[in-house]
Amino acid sequence: MSITNEPVTQEAAAMTNTEQSTPAESAATSTGRHRPSSHSFLGFAERYALLGLFVLICIVFTLNPTSGDVFASMNNVNAVLRGQTAVAMIALAAVFPLVTGNIDFSLGATCASSMVLSAGLMSNHGTPLLVCVVVCVAFGALVGLFNGVMVTRFRLDPFVTTLGVATLLGGVIQWYTGGQTIYQGISTTLTDFSYSKIAGLPQVTAIVVVIAVVAWYLLAQTPFGRSLYAIGSNPESAKLVGLPVRRNVMLTFVLGGTIAGAAGLLRLAVQGSATSDSGTSLLFPALAAVFLGATAIRPGFFNVVGTMIGVLFVSFSVSGLTLSGVDSAVQYVFNGAALLVAVGFSTYLGIRRRARG
Amino acid sequence: MTAAPDLPTVTEGATALSISGLTKRFGATLALDEASLAVRPGTVHALLGGNGSGKSTSIKVLAAVHQADAGQLTVGGREYDLRSFDSVDARAAGLRFVHQDLGLFDGLSIAENFALDAGFPLQAGTRIRWAHLHERVTSVLDSYELHVDPRTPINELRPADRTMVAIARALQDADTSADGESLILVLDEPTASLAQHESALLLARIRRLADQGQTVVLVSHRMSEVLSVADDFTIFRDGRTVATLVDASPTEDELVELMAGRAVDALRPVAASSAADELRLEVRGLVSGPLAGIDLQARRGEIVGVAGLVGSGRSSLLRTIFGDLSPRAGTMSINGRPHVPRDVAGAMRDGVALVPEDRGREAAFADLTIADNLSMTRLRTYWSWRGMNARAEQDVSRRLISDFRVKASGPAAPFTSMSGGNQQKVILARWLQRDPAVLLLDEPTQGVDVMSRVDIYRTVREAARRGTAVLVASSDASELLALCDRIVIIREGRVDEDLDAETLDPDDLTRKLLRATSVRQEDETA
Repeated sequence: MSITNEPVTQEAAAMTNTEQSTPAESAATSTGRHRPSSHSFLGFAERYALLGLFVLICIVFTLNPTSGDVFASMNNVNAVLRGQTAVAMIALAAVFPLVTGNIDFSLGATCASSMVLSAGLMSNHGTPLLVCVVVCVAFGALVGLFNGVMVTRFRLDPFVTTLGVATLLGGVIQWYTGGQTIYQGISTTLTDFSYSKIAGLPQVTAIVVVIAVVAWYLLAQTPFGRSLYAIGSNPESAKLVGLPVRRNVMLTFVLGGTIAGAAGLLRLAVQGSATSDSGTSLLFPALAAVFLGATAIRPGFFNVVGTMIGVLFVSFSVSGLTLSGVDSAVQYVFNGAALLVAVGFSTYLGIRRRARG
Repeated sequence: MTAAPDLPTVTEGATALSISGLTKRFGATLALDEASLAVRPGTVHALLGGNGSGKSTSIKVLAAVHQADAGQLTVGGREYDLRSFDSVDARAAGLRFVHQDLGLFDGLSIAENFALDAGFPLQAGTRIRWAHLHERVTSVLDSYELHVDPRTPINELRPADRTMVAIARALQDADTSADGESLILVLDEPTASLAQHESALLLARIRRLADQGQTVVLVSHRMSEVLSVADDFTIFRDGRTVATLVDASPTEDELVELMAGRAVDALRPVAASSAADELRLEVRGLVSGPLAGIDLQARRGEIVGVAGLVGSGRSSLLRTIFGDLSPRAGTMSINGRPHVPRDVAGAMRDGVALVPEDRGREAAFADLTIADNLSMTRLRTYWSWRGMNARAEQDVSRRLISDFRVKASGPAAPFTSMSGGNQQKVILARWLQRDPAVLLLDEPTQGVDVMSRVDIYRTVREAARRGTAVLVASSDASELLALCDRIVIIREGRVDEDLDAETLDPDDLTRKLLRATSVRQEDETA
């Protein structure tokens, strides 16, 4: 086969060379072609918009006469922080798989079942607290490992896999608790700990901060974290620059599960009892926070600092609304709306970033 | 800077499509500056230009992806204002686009792909009339010389046929438009992902379409292909139309000169081999994928071309050396030491680097920054317990950007803010900063404009001069000859010929490559 080459008559050739610019000129135009300094002010505004919004709602609820006195009190701040421990932990746990483009829906259920597991151990078997800590964390890691193996080894869809695991764990919780709350025999060391304070803030919050710092370091300051963002960007390219894609994706599920397992114990500490709740009520505010966080600090990417701002934003908004006398059902509406807005906004950011090409 | 004057060579009556005064700004950048274009009916019109010349932007304006700031479009006597030109107008004007990414659904059949575009024929409003659909699609396919079953899934077609299916799909309503209004086919880099013989096949068909009266606007980086098929040429530079050649047969050098705006001799690389006697890479009896026992050597500083038809295993060879595929048999060694990579990371430790064929899918981290893309092969070197050394990373990135002549606003710019050629330079820099012992290049200048191509060749030669052994797999005969000291042809899974590049010209090489097919076809018929 050959190319059908149409010899065109040379005399018909008409050349209209209208303008010759010097090489220097053309080089100058093409270097100036790339993005002007558009990311100075706008970029800054984009990065800190969520933080600004958080400050704004705090001011609004403080000035609001119905909510103001209570909202701004140290008691309320501590109560909100203490109450949101598990949500914050699950949000941190969710960041890891999300960075690589995978979602873990089982984190809420992992947390809830870890809570029931430790309560059951203490209540029914008198297991010492330290053992419970180890069991909870190990249980979370195991659930994460299972999810990770399913997703990376057997190439199952992470959405369906983790949803299945969440449903399964929810069922086991129902079966084990029989729908009853376990409140007897919970270690008082644990419950007392949740009321103790450090530098005026609940100690459980300090634990969240420590884990957030570790998560931030892992994601932003290590080759491992950078490899996760690379995998999230393009797994095939990541493989071809020598990154251990499958191992690292599996590790994100294990890390997430471990944090969720620990979150279960902290939730037991805060609540003092274990309900038969399946953990969905924890997962959605956490996801809302993570997706909101992806619009801040490093817009378009899931990140730890943004996630923490997201958690604060979601929890203090709900607290303010409740204190303003709005029906308590509003928190579900708010969390759902925040999740939708956040997903919409970060998708928009992603699209815009790609469109810049 | 003055606007491009009217183009006197084209008369009013003889245009199927004409654009005038097309201007488009992106922020402070003037992407198109009163550009113009006039396409005669029934011709293949090539649109040429380097990176940032505005040719892609003008196509995007026609496809209504971007809205112009000023400009008039005339198609079939109807005038359109390009400031408010939308996709409905584009379709009504008879413009049909086939982009580099063909937009086909790989797992679905040809017929389903057609129907998803034009609608499924329904019976009683519910049931799909499959027989009717298949019949109609078969007749459309036949008219485009595609003699395949419409039930064939797209991913079972050969690459040239896939492009042809996309073209046929784009033009499927051609005969149904009763008023005889002819469609204009716009092809954006149709051959960019095709091997040479596939693109030859495709271009021959495009040529025949034009001979039957189809008007075609063709955007391509591959100069030799454009020359073989186009009647008219419009050259863009810095957002302006700098030349229009009607019914012309310019030489490649003339075109490059128009695109570059300077004499082409300076751009031509000087081929001087830096091959030394020291053996860098040795492959013996390698069996992997379609490879059935490859023996190959590359010396220090040598650039070896790997030629072969599609499916011959060029990419498999590179990927096996890179540890991405496991060989079924055979041995490899680098610098005399056995090279048995367990994975890509293992091959990298042995000093191997690979620039893969499909930049977008296999090399780019599109939404990350240029610095991120550069650092990915040496993340560990930036790490200490105090975290990633961001400053060192930025400094190294900045240096690489200038060393490799990358046009980019800085290390923090998104990877996709650069043109294809500059993206490819970044991928090369990503690997060359590691000073690899063996550099594997798979179609290194695919989708790269002429100007960047010259920079890339120079970079590869410089790496060879510093002692890297380079293996270049390419379907572009002139590229292999411009770059390599030696070319091996893979045929039937083995190294069939080992040729000195200096003794060849592109026609020789193409002939040798194609002979492989004819020989095989004779074998099959016998």
